[in-house]
Amino acid sequence: MQEKLQNIAEKVLELACLKGDLQTEVFMLDAQELSLEVSSKEVENMKISQERGLGLRVIKESRLGYAYTSDLSKLALESVVDKAIYNSRETQPDSCWELPKRVNEYQRMSIYDEQIFKVPVEEKIKLAQSVEEAARNYDARVAIIEKAVYQEAQYHVTLLSSLGLSGHYQAAYCGSYAAVVGRENDDNQTGFGMQFGLKYSEIDPKSIGEEAAMKAVRMLGAKTIPSANIPIVFDPYIGTKFLGVLQIALSGEAVLKGKSFYRGKEGMTVASPLITIIDDGTMPNKLGSTPFDGEGIPTTKTVLVENGRLIGYLHNLYTAGKSGVTSTGNSVRGSYKSTPEVGTTNLYLQAGETNPLDIVKEIKRGLYVTDIMGMHTANPVSGDFSLGAAGLLIENGELTHAVKGVAIAGNIKEMLESIDAVGNDLTFFIAKGAPTIRVKAMSVSGA
Amino acid sequence: MDKREIGEILKKALGHGADFAEFFLEHKETTSVFCEENRIERINSGIDEGVGIRVIHNNSTSYAYTNDLSLERLLEVAETAGKAAQKEARYPETFNFITPSAEAQFNIRIPPSEIKLETKTSKILEANKAARGVDPRIRQVTVSYGDIKQDIIIANSEGIYVEDARTRTRIAVNAVAAENDVIQTGYFSAGGVTGFELFDDNPASVLGENAARRAVLMLSAQAAPSGKMPVVMDSKAGGTMIHEACGHGLEADLVHKGLSVYAGKKGEQVASPLVTVIDDALIPNKYGSLRYDDEGKPGQKTVLIKNGVLEEFMYDYQTAHKEGRESTGNGRRESYQNRPIPRMRNTYIAPGNTKPHKIMKEVEDGLLVMAMGGGQVNTTNGDYVFDVAEGYLIKDGEIVAPVRGATLTGNGPSTLQAIEMVGSDLGYTIGVCGKDGQGVPVSDAQPTILVKELIVGGRGIDKSNGKIRRI
Repeated sequence: MQEKLQNIAEKVLELACLKGDLQTEVFMLDAQELSLEVSSKEVENMKISQERGLGLRVIKESRLGYAYTSDLSKLALESVVDKAIYNSRETQPDSCWELPKRVNEYQRMSIYDEQIFKVPVEEKIKLAQSVEEAARNYDARVAIIEKAVYQEAQYHVTLLSSLGLSGHYQAAYCGSYAAVVGRENDDNQTGFGMQFGLKYSEIDPKSIGEEAAMKAVRMLGAKTIPSANIPIVFDPYIGTKFLGVLQIALSGEAVLKGKSFYRGKEGMTVASPLITIIDDGTMPNKLGSTPFDGEGIPTTKTVLVENGRLIGYLHNLYTAGKSGVTSTGNSVRGSYKSTPEVGTTNLYLQAGETNPLDIVKEIKRGLYVTDIMGMHTANPVSGDFSLGAAGLLIENGELTHAVKGVAIAGNIKEMLESIDAVGNDLTFFIAKGAPTIRVKAMSVSGA
Repeated sequence: MDKREIGEILKKALGHGADFAEFFLEHKETTSVFCEENRIERINSGIDEGVGIRVIHNNSTSYAYTNDLSLERLLEVAETAGKAAQKEARYPETFNFITPSAEAQFNIRIPPSEIKLETKTSKILEANKAARGVDPRIRQVTVSYGDIKQDIIIANSEGIYVEDARTRTRIAVNAVAAENDVIQTGYFSAGGVTGFELFDDNPASVLGENAARRAVLMLSAQAAPSGKMPVVMDSKAGGTMIHEACGHGLEADLVHKGLSVYAGKKGEQVASPLVTVIDDALIPNKYGSLRYDDEGKPGQKTVLIKNGVLEEFMYDYQTAHKEGRESTGNGRRESYQNRPIPRMRNTYIAPGNTKPHKIMKEVEDGLLVMAMGGGQVNTTNGDYVFDVAEGYLIKDGEIVAPVRGATLTGNGPSTLQAIEMVGSDLGYTIGVCGKDGQGVPVSDAQPTILVKELIVGGRGIDKSNGKIRRI
């Protein structure tokens, strides 16, 4: 496979070379996926996919152009070269555009578990069935298993540039998730559980099913609460959702363009001293780990916020050049169809020392938030958010009853400043991780 | 790929005894242009093509796709997809394909493929310039433009064969305004099943100005109140509320799985008698308009709720088949990489009789929504949220002051019952709706309406208990 991709990529470089004085970079992806969805023990949906394509960046007279194709015939390859050059003509010249140069050696990483593809499909169906069974057996009030899914993917990436870069890797991941409805009287509530990782042997179907069931059942009887300004505890999953918004403010590109509330705050205290945020593309056994980023730069560990102090931003080659620093290896590609942009590898909020139970115990009246609606409406530029929330009421240090139909509002920057407890339970969901965190006080709107 | 070859592929897919097989070929060409920092920064264009093969056996669906379009590879893929079925195979020697006729024709007057790249960039720069001209506090402007031409062939083992070409064009402007330590944003977009004539009705400069004005307005806005209060939604605000509060819950797959609060309620009064909700593929040139859905079913106008009574759900082939009825033409998919599922098209609350300007006059203390952002719903319990991109406080029937940072939270069925006035106007917004990891273009609309009460999730004064509480 590697050889085949390499040959096509080289062919494109050769074709581009004939077009005169320009720099070229070819990204090639070949991906295969399997997804199995089980319902009432039967396979309800199965998806098998194979996708490949290439994306081409060219720099001509300091102008950048991009084009892509899934058709790899000779004619299509010629056309993609012409298109990228054509597209470059209408963009503004910028001397900071650069394409990746040769890298002598990349770190060896164990990111392809052969075992995933040796296990027969029947076993994987059984795995999804046992997720479903575990959810059903957890509690009699588990009424519907919306989904019990097993998923796996493997992909080859090849990256070549006319400046001598030649990178290749093969990676794979697998995982499973369940979505469950609990029912009591006329009340229906949902819960989910998931695990994704690099190793087949590490999936624990029982815990996935039970987690989904536990979350659905504990929400039964949920009702709204009166508006108040009270302490809020976010479970690790919600913490990772906030990181998804925060990563935009930490992007070197947003900073350069004046779209980040962290602009000009380097070296300053921007969060509670309990907060340390790290992006690390070299972590063993994590989904966001690869030897190099979307531009062939070796991935690294980048401390963004350390004990509340802003250390730096996420950069790709362009934003680093523009800011006078070096790339942090954070160029990320969504697919061959889109240009590489500043993004994250494994982004996490470092664990603290407090047991999550103790975080709740200290609260007289507060809200433990386990579900958020509308996170995509949070404003990454201003940091303002107002979100639908559900979870459990905390009364005298105990989780008492389920709460839904409330909204929480605040500003992410201010929220990070007022975090007064960080749990020791760092948990990863796909490639983002967070522990349980507590915010001193936040506005809750309810009845 | 000719009909005979497609027939061979379908036969291969049915070779292990499956009940239904379908072939979906897509050839998509896109161009996108992105302007920021006062300049054209990125231009991207390309071709993506592939085939998805769907096989249904009993209630089990196998879906396989590839972008290797050789007949040999496609036969392999069909074999893989059909393998799960284990019955005696039954299929005709040849398929006599029939093409159902479409009710709608969408005229694409100026295909974007015929427009020079520099004409596209000049429109984008025009929007950028207009936005920056609004106020010196505009710090950044992002304009993104995209056009898509999608050619599809759909054929299935029931003998349906449809070819269609779809063109969509869209533009969005995002403006950032800053003053001292406050940063705010304003967003405005336009798009549809249309060509470059999109700009005839939506001049690029107006789009830019609207986005910038909203960002500047929000600089001086106060924090939105919190708590329960009456809410007026202007027709200009668009239809995110109806999309979330009721649209998703009326998709038949969710209904069948027991994941909708509206399950089992056909024929019942689920909304105020003032409320009629329609999902319509046939409106010319809207963002969710379709000649055929992604299963080859001609687009149609579907009345979901009539005078408050639930009449119909939105069906695709598979959910319709389960009930032994016809699909409503709501089977849609993001691309050849996805199986079709029931999705909305252009969803709206039908206009009523009340003069729109009279509606706000009825409110003593409340919130006026002039623009909605994104939203989300939990269809199982009906709880939903949507973001207010531009909102104002209402006092004694008049606009008092702009507010920022508000999300409205409600419960679908309760909100529909609480709609007390419905205006005679109608306003659309466009969006990309996400479900099961698939995004499809939709539009939503509503008249100016009054909802008796919703929870406003701001950080300001709580007015819900009649007491004023500062936080």
